[in-house]
Amino acid sequence: MALRRILVANRGEIALRIVRAARGLGIETVLAASAADHDSLAAREADRAVVIGPSAARDSYLNARLIVHAATATGCDGLHPGYGFLSERQSLAALCDEAGVVFVGPTRDSIKAVGDKLSARRLARAAGIAMTSGSEKLATAAEAVAFAEGIGFPVVTKASAGGGGRGMVVARDPRALADGFQRASIEAKEAFGDGTLYIERYVEHARHVEVQVLGLGDGRVLHFGERDCSLQRRYQKMVEEAPAAALPETTRNRLHKAAVDLLAAIRYRNAGTVEFLYDVERDDFYFLEVNARIQVEHPVSEMITGVDLVRLQLRIAGGEPLRIQQQDIAPSGHAIEARIIAENPDRGFAPSPGRIRVWRPPHGEGIRLDTAMEEGADVPPFYDSMIAKLIVHAHDRSAAVERLRAALESFVVEGISTNIPFLRAIAAHPDFIGNRVDTRWLESVFLPQYGQPKDP
Amino acid sequence: MTDIKTQDIEALLEIFDNSPWQEMSLKVEGLELFLSKTPGAIGHSSAEHHLADPAPFPTTHATAPSAPARAISDGAKTKSTPAPVPDHWVAVRAPNLGTFYRSPKPGAAPYVTVGQTVAADTEVCLIEVMKLFTSVLAGVEGAVRKVLVEDSELVEYDQPLFLIEPA
Repeated sequence: MALRRILVANRGEIALRIVRAARGLGIETVLAASAADHDSLAAREADRAVVIGPSAARDSYLNARLIVHAATATGCDGLHPGYGFLSERQSLAALCDEAGVVFVGPTRDSIKAVGDKLSARRLARAAGIAMTSGSEKLATAAEAVAFAEGIGFPVVTKASAGGGGRGMVVARDPRALADGFQRASIEAKEAFGDGTLYIERYVEHARHVEVQVLGLGDGRVLHFGERDCSLQRRYQKMVEEAPAAALPETTRNRLHKAAVDLLAAIRYRNAGTVEFLYDVERDDFYFLEVNARIQVEHPVSEMITGVDLVRLQLRIAGGEPLRIQQQDIAPSGHAIEARIIAENPDRGFAPSPGRIRVWRPPHGEGIRLDTAMEEGADVPPFYDSMIAKLIVHAHDRSAAVERLRAALESFVVEGISTNIPFLRAIAAHPDFIGNRVDTRWLESVFLPQYGQPKDP
Repeated sequence: MTDIKTQDIEALLEIFDNSPWQEMSLKVEGLELFLSKTPGAIGHSSAEHHLADPAPFPTTHATAPSAPARAISDGAKTKSTPAPVPDHWVAVRAPNLGTFYRSPKPGAAPYVTVGQTVAADTEVCLIEVMKLFTSVLAGVEGAVRKVLVEDSELVEYDQPLFLIEPA
């Protein structure tokens, strides 16, 4: 039965994106907003907005009971969690089940199966997918050192309960591992409430590649090509592309198959992303993790495949039998997304909330902007500081890079600091233009040069 | 006196709606009903009873709220315009979104009624979030002057629930 009215449990650009996708399908929307967002663009465009709690995310966007109560009390039959916040919490999916509200996402069992990284690694192993040599959970630094000596340094510690760089320490020798283990465990405990760590062999020259999938819930899993998200700072993605132009065609096909096999095995439902490390020198990839939600960078996949993934999410959640088949999904051209963030790269990337005085985004062929910002809008200090996603599409990568440069050049924001000048410098860098980057490039090559006087 | 059923009230509403009458006041055992075609009108006696009464006012709900698609557009962006309130009255506000209940359990007497004196720690209502009930305290000593929300209505964070005239 198709959804009739959904609660949008998020904010910013993704909330607006969901509201508009729902409207396109004739589905009504109720936006659950914090006090800070009561007058946001998403709140105004939704059919109804309810203020669920104060500005602090802990008492609003992170309170699953409030959100599900808001859904039932406003007569919603579905709930879209967006990304971040509670999107990958089993508890939210469970409360939705309890309240008879359709969760627009995977089943709670799937969230559990892929959400814990060690459990996800077991799934990947069962599906025959390669991964870097890694341990099961490790209780002490001594255990970690013993394991690392078996697989060889360098190694990286990882938190079983989550990602985003928390709990990750790269160690090149036993001493560094012994020192870093405790620190990583504390960091993981603070971020995820669970300090469980494991370690993996660290790949020196790796690209971050990932496959966008949609599971139909009956064992069929479609993929929408892959993305390359190697440009990261502190494990936070900054620029994402589709396709991953560096992959040889045979590797690309194997990558897609690996992602589909992994999730088909658990009859995965709705949108998900399977992330891999691509070892450039060995031309091989290793399973990293599954993100059981729509991702920030989904638009680049939409641009090359011509589908609306959020609409498909809503149609799958509504139980609509989709006729779309894998052979219908034919990627074309190249797309790049740059995350526009309210931060000051010249001051250690300090967040820069405040009022947007001037907002003149670029327009034109092959340019898409996903944002909930406008002139006069406030960037509140309480949440993630991403304010827009600039997406360009062109017939090939070099044309897309050129389009990105031009679009960034004409993007004017005043009143707050943004990373636009920083992104311009990336887009103009020969390594980026030549696609010679890896996951360490931004921090180890680009950042030390950025802001330095150029050689005459 | 027999029990008044929902159908009885609906029948009354229909008669009232189709009549040229501007106001109607009905008082039977255990129920007091005041109907008016003037938005914001309030009966003359014991105001707390009909404010507490779940019977709908025909001026705000022309039909029983059975069509949620309508309710969403009606309830969403129109805010009722409250009558001017003395500056020193204090609003008791909702601590979060939830369902508002005036009494500890269905059928029980409300925690407070208009005119009643309350202390800062007097419980004034319950807010329910997925079967979890939290009591709200008056927060100020004084007299309850207005109940702003109907029983079992959804309230949003920071929404005024009661007006209290401080002692």
